[in-house]
Amino acid sequence: MSTRDSERLQLMQGTLDVLILRTLIFGAEHGQGIARAIQQSSNNELLVEHGALYPALQRLEEKGWITATWGTSSNNRKARFYSLTKSGRSQLVHESTKWRRLAAAMSRVLGPEPEKG
Amino acid sequence: MTIFRSRRTHEDFSNEVQAHIDLETDRLVAEGWSRERASAEARKIFGNVTLVKERFYETSRWIWLEQIVQDVRYATRTLRHNPAFFATAVVTLTLGIGLATVAFTVFNAYLLRPYAIRKPSALHQIEWRSQKSGGKGFRWRDYLELRDRIDLFEGVIAEHTQFVTSQGRPLAAALVSDNYFDTLGPGVLLGRASTADDGGRPVVLSHQAWTRLFARDPAVIGGPLDLNGRQFTIVGVLRPEFTGLGDSPRDVWVSLASYAQTSSPELIGSDQPRSIEITARLREGLSSAQAQAVLTPFMKHVVGTASEGEDVRAEVQPATPNQLSLQLLAILSPIAAAFALVLVTACANVSNVMLARAIARHREIGVRLSLGASRNRVVRQLLTEGIVIAVVAGFAALALAAFALRAATAAFFATLPPSVAGILRLVPIGIDHRVFLFTLGTAAVATVLFALMPALQASRLSLIDAVRGQGGTTRQGSRLRHALVIAQVAVSMILVVVAVTLARNGAAIGSLDLGYHTAGVVSINVRAQDGELIRKLVPVLTADPRVAEVGVTGGNPLFIRSRNVAAAPAGRTDAAATRYTFVSPEYFSILRIPIVRGRPFRLDEARGSARTAIISEATARSFWPGQDAIGKSIRIERPNGRPVDDLAGYPEVTVIGTVPDVVSGLIVDGRDSSHIYLPMTADSPQTLAALVRGRTMREPGAEALQQSFRQVAADPQIFEALPLEEMRALQIYPLQAASWVGILLGGLALILSVSGLYGVLIYTLNQRTREIGIRMALGASGAAVVRLIVRQSARLAAAGAMIGLIVAFGSLKALSSAIQLQTVTLVDAAAFAAGVVVVVAAAALAAYHPASRATRVDPSAALRADA
Repeated sequence: MSTRDSERLQLMQGTLDVLILRTLIFGAEHGQGIARAIQQSSNNELLVEHGALYPALQRLEEKGWITATWGTSSNNRKARFYSLTKSGRSQLVHESTKWRRLAAAMSRVLGPEPEKG
Repeated sequence: MTIFRSRRTHEDFSNEVQAHIDLETDRLVAEGWSRERASAEARKIFGNVTLVKERFYETSRWIWLEQIVQDVRYATRTLRHNPAFFATAVVTLTLGIGLATVAFTVFNAYLLRPYAIRKPSALHQIEWRSQKSGGKGFRWRDYLELRDRIDLFEGVIAEHTQFVTSQGRPLAAALVSDNYFDTLGPGVLLGRASTADDGGRPVVLSHQAWTRLFARDPAVIGGPLDLNGRQFTIVGVLRPEFTGLGDSPRDVWVSLASYAQTSSPELIGSDQPRSIEITARLREGLSSAQAQAVLTPFMKHVVGTASEGEDVRAEVQPATPNQLSLQLLAILSPIAAAFALVLVTACANVSNVMLARAIARHREIGVRLSLGASRNRVVRQLLTEGIVIAVVAGFAALALAAFALRAATAAFFATLPPSVAGILRLVPIGIDHRVFLFTLGTAAVATVLFALMPALQASRLSLIDAVRGQGGTTRQGSRLRHALVIAQVAVSMILVVVAVTLARNGAAIGSLDLGYHTAGVVSINVRAQDGELIRKLVPVLTADPRVAEVGVTGGNPLFIRSRNVAAAPAGRTDAAATRYTFVSPEYFSILRIPIVRGRPFRLDEARGSARTAIISEATARSFWPGQDAIGKSIRIERPNGRPVDDLAGYPEVTVIGTVPDVVSGLIVDGRDSSHIYLPMTADSPQTLAALVRGRTMREPGAEALQQSFRQVAADPQIFEALPLEEMRALQIYPLQAASWVGILLGGLALILSVSGLYGVLIYTLNQRTREIGIRMALGASGAAVVRLIVRQSARLAAAGAMIGLIVAFGSLKALSSAIQLQTVTLVDAAAFAAGVVVVVAAAALAAYHPASRATRVDPSAALRADA
């Protein structure tokens, strides 16, 4: 655990959805796996609040972007596996483009990263 | 649509959370933690499980339902704690919705309900039309011809309606073709519905007749029923929904063919009257226009001879109890408006109370808002309270309507003149699915009217003020409340003015001097308009010792409008419209009409149809002003060279006497502006009706008349005997009934607006207690404080009264130009004055208690109180 919880970045609203969709592009995954994957792929920079994860999964499922079935995990535990639907895939493309443009715009405005003292 | 998709259960979600924690534990164990520590850590990382579950629950689609249940529970609890408010609101709305339901139920029974038969839409009435006239009466032989047109119809039925007597009671009998019940297929309650005669003379009873004659005794099937002295066998009782074709319910159905053989041979004889109505089920796929085209040649040969060379065609119209037309709706709309106004007043009242309550509950609402309830949720909560009230009121209104209709029907029959009550039949006025839906819709509209505005108003308050217990004095809120009260006062003003106008007209018509004595005189008409029967009846009546005088007329006073003709003094060309009646010499003495000048008709004049006339004084004045009319001649005009129907041989008549002006037609027409009486006897072709005066007031009596009738006709019900006094009462009746309804509605609206006004005043008083306290502390007298309250009451009442007066005046003015009747005054100053007095009294009544309370405000207490 390289970063303390309090120093981790809080997820802005709407970002979590993209991250979940992005994680699921590699195949079906359960809630705990998604949380771990987001944390790991962000070098533990992003904190996934479980209080937010499940409502987000719920929301995506209702929108029809992901589906869920009960299955068995690699270590033989029953878990609810989420996978990306076709409309979820196109949503991901749409959202990631949006985020990239936003990120690029933000960094242009903020300028080059200052030297760390 | 998302509401009903299947949903994850809470258990499923709990399992998922548990799986998450287990997986996390596994991972930590794999990292080298002990199982207990790993488990504890996994829980810690996951965070507050309950919170997550709660959030899951809140995204649930069923939450709205749960919240509704919550809201309803909360609303019922709140209402239970405020029984006075709840009761007032429910009672007020029940009255409003109940009255509207009553009006709609009657409307539904007469105009919306289709015949309770199999496939009523296919049923059509066959009629004939020409340019000038039309009709639906056919001969039996015409029916027999039509019956075989299977290319057009799936069934053709014939019906002849007449009154028959069963042990002295009149019954509305339908003489029908034997395929009647098979073709229509109405619901049968007992026995079978068939009139086909197997020798036992079957008769089918309506539910009403079964109730009235046999008190719903199920053992009547197979029992006897006497009709005009002949015994019939009861074979069935129909369900209450079907009361026959046409707008007037029937009591019994019998076979036309077999009834006519014994009792009305003319119906099927050689000279058949056109008194049979034909109804048919149109073959599927056939339009009424097609049937019309096919039937037109038939109509030509059926009717053709009767109306010389005119273009006769067939008319095939859907058979419904009453045709709903725009014209009829226009006539009914003022009535509907009156009921709607009372409903609006009721809603305004409840709305006002809710508004006051919402303001009084500011602190509670403020607390809920600050605890995180959304405004939306607060509005929904307040609306739910409204819905609970409306639902309770809706059901109470249905019960009230059912009760009120029963009471009104009983009152209707009790107040009708007795001879009319005996032969009048009402269609069953019941509550069906249409009425239920109407009440539901009305309650829903009422909820929006009375609950939505206060709810929106309440949610708009400022949080800080609300929690501090202030606020609610928003200008908008009080303006709304004032507008509601003004509307209420205006509505009561309109209804009171209309009710008083109706009542005064009823009284005026009731006390109108007809110009003759109706007491003790009985009018006798023949239902078939058959003068021959009157001719036979006169000697029988004359021989009766209980009868003092018998006269005949070409139309009895109070029964039909006397006929119009143009006439002028001989030698002048300026003919004026006048009315005329053929009367026998006894006419004037029976009615106690004095001969003012000249002499009455002599018997020989009457026998010889002499060209003499007695004229009304008004006619004499206008024809020969300042001169003696006796001996002068009157020329009777022939419009377009065509003689007036029964005045063919009367080009000129000589005046032999004058009589005072009387009401010779209908009371609403008032006294004749001009009238010419011509002499006749029973043998004259003009004979249509008879007048009888008994030796005493009570004679000859209904029973004696029935005996006389039976000597002349097989069916005494062919005659219609009605005392003139009752006919007079009957003509006043509609106005009286309308004024009763008007007074009821106006009274209710008035009570509602007094309580609405009172509510506003009390509320203002509560709000201004502190101000009043300061004023009194500074030396204001009690009178000044009273003035404060009274001024507000007067301002609201005056505004409402003004609007009410303007609307009432405008609509009555419009109405009076639409219907011009001599005896009816629609724009009546006294009625408007009465309205003003009543509204002023109401405003004073509403202000009394608040004003007296205001004087008792204790300045020191008011100042100390934290306002």
